[in-house]
Amino acid sequence: MRELTYAQAINEALRQCMRRDERVVLLGEDVGVYGGVFQVSAGLQDEFGPDRVMDTPISEAGFVGGCVGAALTGMRPVVEIMFIDFTTVCMDMIINQMAKMHYMFGGRGKVPMVLRTNIGAGRGAAAQHSQSFHSLFMHIPGLYVAAPSTPYDAKGLMIEAIRNDNPVIFVEHKKLYVEKGPVPEEEYAIPFGKADIKRRGADITVVATLAMVTRSLRAAEEAEKEGVGLEIVDPRTLTPLDKETILESVKKTGRLLVADEGHKTAGVAAEIAAIAAEEAIEYLKAPVMRVCSPDTPVPFSPPLEQAYIPDVKDIMPAVKRLMEYA
Amino acid sequence: MDIPKQTLRELFRIMVVIRAFEENVQDLYARGHIPGLAHLYIGEEAVAAGVCANLQADDYLTSTHRGHGHVIAKGADLKPMMAELYGKRTGYCKGKGGSMHIADMEIGILGANGIAGGGLPIAVGAALSAQWRGTDQVTACFFGDASSNNGTFHESLNLASLRKAPVVFVCENNLYGISVGQFKHQPIKDIAIRATSYDMPGVVVDGNDVFKVYEAASKAVRRARAKEGPTLIECKTYRWRGHHEGDPNQGRRYRTQEEIDQWKAKDPIERLANKLMEDKVAGAAKLAAIQKEILQEIDDAVAFANSSDFPAIEELYEDVYVEGSAQ
Amino acid sequence: MATEVVLPMLGITVEKGKIVEWLKREGDSVQKGEIIFIVETDKVATEVESPASGILAKIVIPVNQEVPVLTVVGVITEPGEKLSETYEVAPAAEPAPAAALERPTAYALRETLPPPQPSGPARVMPAGRKLARDQGIDLSAVTGTGPDGVILLRDVRAAVSGAGMKASTLARRLAEKEGTPLAGIAGTGVRGRVMVSDVERAVADARSPDFGKVIPMDNIRRVIARRMSESAFTAPHIYFFADVAMDPLLGFRKQVSEDFEKKFGLRPSVNDFLIKAVALNILDFPIMNAQARGQEIHVQPEINVGLAVAMDNGLMVPAIAQADRAGLADIARQRMDLVRRARAGKLTADEMGRGTFTISSLAQYDIVCFTAILNPPQSGILSIGKTREELYLDKGEVKARTIATFGLSVDHRIIDGAVAADFLQNLKWKLERPAFTFLVQ
Repeated sequence: MRELTYAQAINEALRQCMRRDERVVLLGEDVGVYGGVFQVSAGLQDEFGPDRVMDTPISEAGFVGGCVGAALTGMRPVVEIMFIDFTTVCMDMIINQMAKMHYMFGGRGKVPMVLRTNIGAGRGAAAQHSQSFHSLFMHIPGLYVAAPSTPYDAKGLMIEAIRNDNPVIFVEHKKLYVEKGPVPEEEYAIPFGKADIKRRGADITVVATLAMVTRSLRAAEEAEKEGVGLEIVDPRTLTPLDKETILESVKKTGRLLVADEGHKTAGVAAEIAAIAAEEAIEYLKAPVMRVCSPDTPVPFSPPLEQAYIPDVKDIMPAVKRLMEYA
Repeated sequence: MDIPKQTLRELFRIMVVIRAFEENVQDLYARGHIPGLAHLYIGEEAVAAGVCANLQADDYLTSTHRGHGHVIAKGADLKPMMAELYGKRTGYCKGKGGSMHIADMEIGILGANGIAGGGLPIAVGAALSAQWRGTDQVTACFFGDASSNNGTFHESLNLASLRKAPVVFVCENNLYGISVGQFKHQPIKDIAIRATSYDMPGVVVDGNDVFKVYEAASKAVRRARAKEGPTLIECKTYRWRGHHEGDPNQGRRYRTQEEIDQWKAKDPIERLANKLMEDKVAGAAKLAAIQKEILQEIDDAVAFANSSDFPAIEELYEDVYVEGSAQ
Repeated sequence: MATEVVLPMLGITVEKGKIVEWLKREGDSVQKGEIIFIVETDKVATEVESPASGILAKIVIPVNQEVPVLTVVGVITEPGEKLSETYEVAPAAEPAPAAALERPTAYALRETLPPPQPSGPARVMPAGRKLARDQGIDLSAVTGTGPDGVILLRDVRAAVSGAGMKASTLARRLAEKEGTPLAGIAGTGVRGRVMVSDVERAVADARSPDFGKVIPMDNIRRVIARRMSESAFTAPHIYFFADVAMDPLLGFRKQVSEDFEKKFGLRPSVNDFLIKAVALNILDFPIMNAQARGQEIHVQPEINVGLAVAMDNGLMVPAIAQADRAGLADIARQRMDLVRRARAGKLTADEMGRGTFTISSLAQYDIVCFTAILNPPQSGILSIGKTREELYLDKGEVKARTIATFGLSVDHRIIDGAVAADFLQNLKWKLERPAFTFLVQ
């Protein structure tokens, strides 16, 4: 199968959806002429024109709210927020409008829009351009949250996100954009709420999101050398969450490690740990470990940033600790 | 401008429906039948009536927390409206939204909005949607003087003007946010002058003169439908009662009785009634008959709300998401 | 038609208000929208408009009376309408929504778990705990090999199978011969292997578990030690003994047992009668229900008679509530329930702490009588010895009768000898005349 980068896979998903359905439009800052700062929308304005691929002014509340209005009235917009950090500027439109209209209007009216954004540190972009607070959106009822870790998952989840009648926060990762992987040429949708087991193992269940999946896979190679088998479960969507697959794995291994790049406190990992404690406590042979970013803003200086980012260097000690509990 | 007689009678009727509905809500709220909050439109009827009389059924409208007037003027059915205020399952939003979130997608009401300035970007989106779909639908966007300071106001006017989106921005300047008067929250007196910053026409009208409102709205709607772009209409008006029911003494913590009385003297309904009788468009008896009919309609709506059930507890969990994937 | 004027909703947090001024009197005409009264809430004076035009026929709530919001404060009639004399003002409506929440949401809070058991639980990982429970493994016998000695699943597994344990052949043979389970034996061989010397040691320990051992006090023992010391060294005890003829009571009990069981589904025990009799006796001697507190004597309001329950690891004294008022069936039921739960370690703090007088019985042993230590902060405790047959002289004639020796210990700070003696005398009198005693409650 041919290989595409994560960014190219999303590009193809957008292109295929826009070809098939004229209600799909793309808005965002620098998405048109420039093709998006991560080149995810490269070439789309050439094919679909400046009205369907719209370069917006710097007015996040304006154009995200605009997409809500457009979605309410028959369109299926995809809006890009350049970095998840900027979603703060339009939080009202996301949390109070986009997420809630279907419920507040008693089921009449729906908001079939996709808000694409990205997380992740590692490019020296510093505190206001490197955050990973996607857990905020997992916390809000009414929003779906997708978080692909591979090009294959990215294309399939994007196609589903556009097709789905619910508002979707589509969380991408800055460092994954250039990663390559096999991607089928045809259109395919990956259903929401279906986790993917990226690696099978008998000793520890590692629930990992986005870039932590790749990092966990690398850690798994090292753990293998010590005779420890990591099973890596990629939820792929945070809402809806595939609890069944996660808990089945936990029941099998009895040890849970959650790896997510958000802060440790009140993040995605905390939620998954709580679910395990609530619904599978009697299967746990060991405490639940979380590998996350520290509870600090993202530092600029390169050695500090490297220390900040959770990676194999943080996963391995957690693995060792878990194996103290046989 | 020459407004057809039938339209004038219709304007009168709508304004009386709004007034009577709101007065009923006032009483029901005081008696504890309506839970939560109520923000009444009494005194501002001419704005909603004058603007919405120019809209078609499939045109869109976004409203505010003080939205009963807009929603009635756009054609909402009083029974599900009252039921929604009571929180009953037969309400417009199945009791899940309440006064500030009434919506009826079928007649283009994209929701009253509890967030100040929340409706502006949504209105622009609906207008862009019409452009994309190639229809001639227009969106009326109502908001208050206080919201005109919010970021969304500026972003929305900018974006709408840039794209020549078919929006009619209607600012209901009733001189107060909650308790902070206009002279304290913005350095300007006429909000309409902000239109120039966004390269669109801005007009100031007497919001208590339904003729003036109608005329300005008519122009703006025609302009939008002709794909010439948005307009900002500022309607000078006044709310007779406090910001919300419970704001003591009709807002006299921050307003004077004198000011209230001055504006009450400019009652838009009375003014229209006098004009109708003067121009022999309708006689006193006819007007009285219309009012009586309306009171009965409202009684029916209240009875409907009273006799309806509350939602079952399970409905708490319904409609968080749309079930199933789309085509 | 009459219109009721209510004290209106005045804001979502306001619940009541006081009319400070009526601007209209009964009989005045009013206009809709006209201000008719002023209400004060917190510090705000709010004007209230008339909801209708007509005559203010009745003022229901005058000035300066604080009433809840939505109370009907007045009635307006149409001109010419007369209010019937029997016009009744409806009670204040419940503010909407009136619908009560009948079913809990899916996320209703679970009941809080009962307090932890007094004896220190073993530290086990959850999976291990479940396995131990399912297999009936005593966790206190399992050695934990996890961090800080926590018991791991594998430790419990080993305890279950025993076979999983690494042990020498000799060790296994000896264990089998002696009938000692390998589980829980710490191995001193290579990598924890159980050697024959380890099994020998375990066998020796099992025979005489206590000699030479240092046993740390568990929670219950520590509490008992503290409280008994406190009582013995704070309250000066004086002791009294009386022999009580038990034939009447035992005969009475036999008489009523069958019918009692038919009606109440249980048979009353001797202790039930004793509890009731003691409670009735305390009614006549309130000081026995009192406690010394500094310079004051606190006579407790309720007579809750405690019954000492002996268990493997200590003594528990749950109390039957209001024993003076409870019928015998109720006392019997309470007693059964409390004893059962005491043995299961499931008493509540209130049940253990509410006693005002204690009964302690060793009647099942060959103990004639004994001196009991007061259960602090109580001031009296009754001890009961074994019921026995004896010969006695009745006007020079030798007869046999069944007796039991009752002991009474009291706190001499607040109870003097004469009072105590009187109490015990009266109790004996009551117990020897059961029909009268239990009739007159």
